[in-house]
Amino acid sequence: MFEVRSLPGKIGLQLLVTLLTIPFLLPLIAMVQGSLAGAGFANYAAVLSVGSIWNFFISSTIIAAGVIVLVYVVTMLTAYGFAKFRIPGKEVYFWLLLACLTLPEVVLLAPLFATAVQTGLYDTYWAVILPLAALQVPFAVLLVRNFINGIPDELFEAARVDGANSFRGFLYLVIPLTRPIAAAVLIFTLIGAWNNYLLPLVFLQDPAKQTITLLPSYFIGQFSNDQTKVLASAVLTALPEVIAYLSLQRLFERGLAAGAIK
Amino acid sequence: MVTTEPLTDVDPATATGGTVAAARRGRKGRRALQPHGLPWILPGLVLSVGVLYYCIGYTAVISTWDWDGISPNPEQVGLRNYTQMFADPIFWGAIRNTVLFFVITFTVQTVLGMLFAVLLHSRVKLAVLYKVIIFIPVVLAPAIMAPVFRQFFGADGQFNWILEHIGLGAITQPWLGQSSTALWVLMAITVWQWTGLTFVLYYAAMGQIDQSILEAARIDGAGNLRVIWSIIWPGVRGTTVALAMLGAIGALKTFDWPWLVTVAGPNHATEFLGTIIYRQTIPNYHVGYGAAVSILLLVLALIMAIFLQVRGREKNEKAS
Repeated sequence: MFEVRSLPGKIGLQLLVTLLTIPFLLPLIAMVQGSLAGAGFANYAAVLSVGSIWNFFISSTIIAAGVIVLVYVVTMLTAYGFAKFRIPGKEVYFWLLLACLTLPEVVLLAPLFATAVQTGLYDTYWAVILPLAALQVPFAVLLVRNFINGIPDELFEAARVDGANSFRGFLYLVIPLTRPIAAAVLIFTLIGAWNNYLLPLVFLQDPAKQTITLLPSYFIGQFSNDQTKVLASAVLTALPEVIAYLSLQRLFERGLAAGAIK
Repeated sequence: MVTTEPLTDVDPATATGGTVAAARRGRKGRRALQPHGLPWILPGLVLSVGVLYYCIGYTAVISTWDWDGISPNPEQVGLRNYTQMFADPIFWGAIRNTVLFFVITFTVQTVLGMLFAVLLHSRVKLAVLYKVIIFIPVVLAPAIMAPVFRQFFGADGQFNWILEHIGLGAITQPWLGQSSTALWVLMAITVWQWTGLTFVLYYAAMGQIDQSILEAARIDGAGNLRVIWSIIWPGVRGTTVALAMLGAIGALKTFDWPWLVTVAGPNHATEFLGTIIYRQTIPNYHVGYGAAVSILLLVLALIMAIFLQVRGREKNEKAS
């Protein structure tokens, strides 16, 4: 966008980007450096030797996987319905769903707490998976519906003429054709579920079921206030997220370009 | 016009699947594949609309109770929770913090996000590396980064260390420990976390701007700043409106960072609606009061969303 031809101009531009990027890197450097202070890598060994650390990762994985499966299935069905079927009062349903986009999870705290206790879902994964999925679906439907709207109707009509019912149309047209936008949905849902702090904090009491976002407070208790080990645990929990992002980065940008910007 | 549309214009699927009356609906019927799409959207409606609206209704009811969350016989108190809330200086402090927080973080993120997007569209070397560094904070959980920032901005943390080494030793202070600076630290952390998303969305939107318009402007003698102001900035309007909405709702629901970094303190200096709701509902057992604040938060979020939608649409119409 900027057009700079002279060499000093080019160097100036490069320097400006570098200077602006440094503040984003500093906390990450501080985190790694802090985790190695004092005992060095022995800090990591100490953290990993706390056997229950794996429970936190397993819980987070179960919850993220549950939310992703639920959000994917529900979103695909709903977005297909909104995009390609005639439904009386469709706009009303759609706005009801879109209004949920403005909903902060913290306002659900009291009713969810009361309901979870009454139904016996308290302290189970479901108490976290269901509200998380419910909160992610509206945005995902918005993205995917816009995307399916872009698929020509003729394709579905051709399938129908060939004798495919709408469910086969869903299975053999919608599912494969929506892959690019599904990648964006997958990543947003993964970040949302993996990073959520409030719901596990309130609904998961059993340490064996707690998620990685509760790990820092667990370690602050475990190592009283040995900051280096707390930071080592932070690095260990941040690492899978960074690796996941780096390996999905391409997919993510394509997904965004496919639908998020419209 | 719609009713007089000839039947032949209607696709065969509708004509065979639906009634003639349905087919007569013309334009609308054209896109439909079968009469009843309701079963398809039902799972989504049950999961999201069902769960969430049930919760909102329940919250509205609870907000008229004096309830500890457990006792089977809550006391009906009408609107007392609301009057109590409006008389509470902590509540008004939280509102003030939220507004200030939104205005500052949104402005800074927009400027930085635009700047990064423009710069990285300008053939700088190692663009992927910069992109990755700016975006990594987006995927990191606040809960995991909170201990890092508590140390980073602490009295003997790295931030003060850096200030000392670049000759600004005079302004070192316990940034998180005093009311005057704690909120600003939280804003800096939020900008650190979300600029990556702002940048990526602007970057994608700028990729869609027609290159020939840019070239035409340059041939007409427009400089870099002129191109950004007159072509790129209006060209990414839609993204800016969407980001304003995300930012406003994000500010209203702020909870993780203030709770984990400063516990909403010192002296309520970093109090937000989210931290009030959590503290009242869970540790304090004032579930009714928490519900009243929740309902207010919800109303504010809806007003904000509608306001931004309408403003965004008006400006779009003016532009076209």
